[in-house]
Amino acid sequence: KPQTRSANTHVMVWSDIPEKSESFMFPQDKVVPVGSNMTFCCIVKEKDDFKEMMYGRQEMSATRLSRRTYAITVTNQPASGNTGTNVICCSQRLTLTGAVVFVGYPPGDEGLVCETRDLASAECSWKKGRDTRLRMKRSRTKYTLNGRDCLEANERKTWWCSSKVWEESWTLVARNPLGTVQLTDSAQLTDRVHLLAPVNVTAVEVEAWSATLQWSWSVASYKKLEMVCQLQLFAHELSSTRNYSGPGLSSVVLESLRPDVDYTVTLRCGSKHSFWKWGNESAPFRIHTKMDRPDALDVWMWMDSSNTGRVFWKPLSVRKSHGALVGYEVSQSSAEEDGRTPVSLPPGNFSYPIILNNSSDITVAVAARNPAGLSQLNVFLYINNINSQLSVSELLGTNGSFVLSWQPNVNASSGYAVEWVPTGCSGLCPVDWKKVPESDCSFTVNSDSLVAGVRYTVSVYSLSTGALTLLQRWQGYSQEMIPSQSVSKLSPIQTGSDVLLSWKATAMEHQRGFIRGYTVYLANAAHLDLIANISDPEVQSYRVKGLSPSFYKFVVKAYTSAGEDAGSTVDIKIEMDTADMLFVGILVPLGIMFCCLILISICCYKKREWVKKAFYPEIPGPKVPGDWSSPQGPLDVKPSPHSLVHIVENPERDFTKEGLFLVPEEEEESENDNIEVDTDSDEPALLRYYNQVVGDGSHSNQVSDSSGSSTASVGSTQTEITYAGIQSPTSSQGACGGGGYRPQMQSVAGPAEPQIEFEADFQDDGLNTGYKPQCSWQLDSPEAENFSGSLGSPTSVTSSQFLIPESSEEKPQPSNTWFHNFLSGKS
Amino acid sequence: MEGAADSDTPVTERPAADRAAALARLLHRDCTRLLELYKERESFLSQHAPGGERLVTLALCPEALSTGEQVGHVRSALRRCMGLLECLIVREVEEMGEELEGEYESLRKTVRDRLGHLLHSTGALLEEGEGGCPPSPPLQCTEGQDEVEASGSFAAKIWTYRVLLELIHWTDSASQTLHLFHSEQHGQQQQQQQLL
Repeated sequence: KPQTRSANTHVMVWSDIPEKSESFMFPQDKVVPVGSNMTFCCIVKEKDDFKEMMYGRQEMSATRLSRRTYAITVTNQPASGNTGTNVICCSQRLTLTGAVVFVGYPPGDEGLVCETRDLASAECSWKKGRDTRLRMKRSRTKYTLNGRDCLEANERKTWWCSSKVWEESWTLVARNPLGTVQLTDSAQLTDRVHLLAPVNVTAVEVEAWSATLQWSWSVASYKKLEMVCQLQLFAHELSSTRNYSGPGLSSVVLESLRPDVDYTVTLRCGSKHSFWKWGNESAPFRIHTKMDRPDALDVWMWMDSSNTGRVFWKPLSVRKSHGALVGYEVSQSSAEEDGRTPVSLPPGNFSYPIILNNSSDITVAVAARNPAGLSQLNVFLYINNINSQLSVSELLGTNGSFVLSWQPNVNASSGYAVEWVPTGCSGLCPVDWKKVPESDCSFTVNSDSLVAGVRYTVSVYSLSTGALTLLQRWQGYSQEMIPSQSVSKLSPIQTGSDVLLSWKATAMEHQRGFIRGYTVYLANAAHLDLIANISDPEVQSYRVKGLSPSFYKFVVKAYTSAGEDAGSTVDIKIEMDTADMLFVGILVPLGIMFCCLILISICCYKKREWVKKAFYPEIPGPKVPGDWSSPQGPLDVKPSPHSLVHIVENPERDFTKEGLFLVPEEEEESENDNIEVDTDSDEPALLRYYNQVVGDGSHSNQVSDSSGSSTASVGSTQTEITYAGIQSPTSSQGACGGGGYRPQMQSVAGPAEPQIEFEADFQDDGLNTGYKPQCSWQLDSPEAENFSGSLGSPTSVTSSQFLIPESSEEKPQPSNTWFHNFLSGKS
Repeated sequence: MEGAADSDTPVTERPAADRAAALARLLHRDCTRLLELYKERESFLSQHAPGGERLVTLALCPEALSTGEQVGHVRSALRRCMGLLECLIVREVEEMGEELEGEYESLRKTVRDRLGHLLHSTGALLEEGEGGCPPSPPLQCTEGQDEVEASGSFAAKIWTYRVLLELIHWTDSASQTLHLFHSEQHGQQQQQQQLL
């Protein structure tokens, strides 16, 4: 029977003899360390076919050792699974036989530490270390402590052992089929005290600022132990740790707590001597401290006029309230009257109006109240000299804050106070203040409490007991902005070709910065042209000169250090002056007209001859060589033979009659005597002319004067032209103004020989009067019309005026107009 | 579930045989899964099935002619399986301890519980002594292992495998037999109702 040696040191003997006919593999259930090598032998059953051997999932090449023995060698075995590694020997389809091998590690436990919890027994614990990978119960690690089996470790898979007695030296043996490990530890009991948690933690006395905590121990022997206890206080996400010590400590007084705060306390203790580790922590315990009176308020007073103002106070933080506030109490008193009843205000109020009856000193006190009581009164003594005449200087903001500094003042025994409030505010104003200690002479007002574009009045006061003195005052902007409203009342006034723009600066609340000046623009279609930049904010007008008449649009903008505002616009139409208009409109045409007249006059004067000819031609008068004084008698004119008229005899006529009938003058009007005319004479008749002048007011009858004298009414301006007409010798009834021919015959006795014979009858029968040469036909007589047909050449001209101008005569020409004189040439 | 899809009748009104059959089907499924899990752990079982004789046989039982007798026989076999399963569990717990709590371990426990219920319900179906095999001596857990061609852990694994196979076989058989039994019962009931 062959001996089979496996690769390891173990030698297994089996017999490959026919008597043992079943399949078998060995070794069985070996426990080997990771990385070792092994050989497995498979003895196949008679008549079974061997195919292969497998180690786990891996096919192995088997070595045939004998007729029915095969072997494989495995090297560097990896750790097996929970149930070990299966090694099988199989035929084509069946598993013939097999074995399980357990590959793992020896124990890796380490770090044995023994401690006492109850100051008597021991608890030793260690770390498990690397997993042995051996799950089978029989290959698990077994522990003994100081020779005694560790039931806790062996049975329950925990890694500690307890011992009833402290032995000061401990040895833990961890054993498994692959190895053994020994761990040791040695210490005094007092050095390994690990206390249990305190129990029954309670607070027996809880005050506003302190509390007493009590607890007990489950182990009696703790009472003798000098211990140190650590308390952890948790409140509002803040935690603090306090340590207390004492033998068997079971109560502590917690100091420096804050009122009305919820605390959570945990406690753990340890041995004070040879402290080893903190014991278990107690369960959290809650303590709520009682309330206390609030802290004093930060009070300030603000007067917006001489007798009205407000007292302000800053809200108390939770930390200073010592309990939720239920309200505030404000009381004021002055020198004259006693203190009044305090006014209670609900929480949330942070100011109260103050009215002074007279401008005397007043004391205002404000206190906060919570359920625990009233805070300390913060007394504000107001002395009515705040509104001093201190000059106010300009303050510029730095990155939105005010950086202030002032000179130290010896009177500032209580420090200084900086106050800032929007300028010009009254009533409930956002007054803010800060009290700084006397060592500080500078302060920065944070940008958080300032609004950009708002002017603040910042004041520094020195505080002393009972006195408040204004040291310095500024006005400024934390951050200047462009004005929100532009200039107002922008109005243009035109004077001539200038325009005076005047405006009013915006109100302070809209300035949002110190106005540094104004810019004046002229608005064009698309853009603004800068006309002027006025850098003096006091100036509120500007004169634009030399504007031609047109439509203008002006824009005035105010600017601060932050820039210009939107601007105010005004437009104006420049027109010419009214006086100018009048002058231009009236005098100029007048002048032109006069010029024209003068020109025309000059022209006319130069061309006066032509003008006279054209417009006022001369009517040439008869040239009279001699004396043209009017003859008194009739004028016998012998007509030219050419003018003889052939007389046709008319049988009907009575040619026998001679001469003419004299018509009495008085009967001019009443009767028209027939005047027979001798028209049949062969001889030319002698025409006898009478120079008659008919005066004014007389009827058209020219026979006004019987004497036949002609009187020239020189006063009359009439010019009468007597026309002699040859008429038919028919009897006329007076178509000629009352009579026919009525020669101015004297009385019959007269020497006159008025022999007028009329022969000719040139006229038609239309005229029923005879030839009446002496009829004076007034041109303007109503009867002149009747004689239109018998007009002949003028035979007599009676005129009150000289018709023929005599340049040498100095006869008065009263009726001549200057114009006539002009035309006739006053040269 | 196969069992639940059987009829529209609510579970409470299902006949006992029907419920038993459904339980047997469910158990059969569990046992199949249990073997799968075991094979995942001991991978060689998937590739090379071990040979060997059956652990549970009905050689000593009289021939079963009626369905009721068959049910009785199956029940006897299942009782044997129960014994084997309990041995299996004891041994595995003994070897591995209690700390392993994987799916295999929890299903193993489920199978045991359900098998117990099935035994109880099939017992209620049968009349006294009907179809039962002669009572077999109490199972010694170590008995079966001697029949395996190995010793030690490997032999135990082979034996466990066989037990699980038996469980699968007999729960399947029980499922079919109970179903048949229920059908016969149901048919008889209908006949009786028609006669009435």
